[in-house]
Amino acid sequence: MKKYWSIFKTQLLNNLAYPGEMFWRSLAIVIFMWIFSSLWRVTYAVTDVETSIGLPLNSIMWYFMLAEVIELGKPRLANAISAAVKDGSIAYLLNKPFNFLLYHFSAGIGDSLVRALMLAGFGTLTVWAIAGPPPPWTGWLMALPVVLLAWSIHFCFNAMIGLLAFVTEEVAPFEWIYQKFVQVMGGLFIPLDLFPAWLRTFANALPFAYIVYGPARLFVQPDPARFAALLGIQAGWLAVLALILYFVYQRSVQRLAINGG
Amino acid sequence: MRELKFLAAVWKANLLSSMEFRGPFVTQVVMMMLNNAFYFVFWVIFFDRFENIRGWQLSDMFVLFGVAASAFGLGVMLFGNIASLSEIIANGRLDYYLSLPRPVLLHVLASRSIPSGLGDFTYGIISFAISGHFTWGGLGRFFVSVILAAVVFVSFMTIVHSLTFWLGNASGFSMVAWNAVITFALYPISLFDNPAKLVLFTLIPAALIGAVPVEVVRAFTWQALGQLALGTAVLFGLALLVFYRGLRRYESGSAIQVEV
Repeated sequence: MKKYWSIFKTQLLNNLAYPGEMFWRSLAIVIFMWIFSSLWRVTYAVTDVETSIGLPLNSIMWYFMLAEVIELGKPRLANAISAAVKDGSIAYLLNKPFNFLLYHFSAGIGDSLVRALMLAGFGTLTVWAIAGPPPPWTGWLMALPVVLLAWSIHFCFNAMIGLLAFVTEEVAPFEWIYQKFVQVMGGLFIPLDLFPAWLRTFANALPFAYIVYGPARLFVQPDPARFAALLGIQAGWLAVLALILYFVYQRSVQRLAINGG
Repeated sequence: MRELKFLAAVWKANLLSSMEFRGPFVTQVVMMMLNNAFYFVFWVIFFDRFENIRGWQLSDMFVLFGVAASAFGLGVMLFGNIASLSEIIANGRLDYYLSLPRPVLLHVLASRSIPSGLGDFTYGIISFAISGHFTWGGLGRFFVSVILAAVVFVSFMTIVHSLTFWLGNASGFSMVAWNAVITFALYPISLFDNPAKLVLFTLIPAALIGAVPVEVVRAFTWQALGQLALGTAVLFGLALLVFYRGLRRYESGSAIQVEV
């Protein structure tokens, strides 16, 4: 475990070495919050959305803040993994005394934490200014573990997409589609509470709802029972997806052919 | 005329180069269309629940997505280096273009094509065709609007990337501007208050890529077309001015670069 902790710390420090880059990337959340506040302010004013969702405008804005922090801060490894597969540099990582997937996981979480902290900083300032104070401290406390689990679930998907490079030349399109599933079925643009009933049932049966909607909803309505249920479901999905990832990885490595170097 | 022939030759070379990898090319085009369709599901769900938001309905969103996606697709398909102009400037890769007897900006922008742009362009046409606002006259206005909006997008991003000449490397800032202009263009303009609208017509000209072209397509007035044409001309002129002013400050380390 010590070596993965070191990889995590190294990646954390790497990111802190380029605060300018991080600053510009984090500004995106200000734009999104401004747009969401315009859309939902009008929607709240002209419809009965508040009764049907059971959340005031202030809470929905904080929902979107955490949802965007999860989405914009998540580890992005598909391209790195696929690049390593395509240029053969995967060979140098495979013979090192660490697990290839755990190496990327540690590095990815190191990346995400710094990015998410800065995004949460900008997001908090923006939403506080346009919608009012944040949820109680219990919301922040409960959000932390479920966001980490959300990123872990995302990592499994992302790594599988990266490993597709063993069978196809271009993996980016698969990432686009996956991202859209997370954004729409995960409740990034519109909370699942506002979906038609049949679509809500469908979305709840998929893991994407527990990457964005689950953590963001818990954040604005912290409740121990909801927290425990979400942790259980996330752990279940993580176990299933990690197992699938492990098998995909084993099969992929068997296909690996390195020509000199 | 001479420059048009040159552009046609560059675009043909780009297309032939993309077709060398036919599988990935087709995958990117098809997947981008699917990607846009999945994204649009959000608006289908939204308008299924709320039907009408300040005069905008789902059919209007189809037209908005149609124009914006086609304009963006056309821009990145024909002038693909608009995605990476700041890196090209910062890394000294303009040397190659400066040594050739062709307009530098035109040459550098057109030297690359982003294949997924064809997916966006095609998706936009389909989105307009099924919007319920389709007429043959509307299709003509649609293509005029798409061309003008594509010029707006490419000009705006050229201005932002050109800040690299003064700032050192504006790629982070360019990425924010890129996200901002596309995201704002895809939302109904009626959601925004007057100060925000002023920003969307000037600093981040998303209204000239989304809202105004939509007006030209679905409820044509000469005023809307004039507004779009004027905005396009101003931004195009500004892009040339800022890029060539900045080019006077350009320095490179004479590194050996290979442009493939």
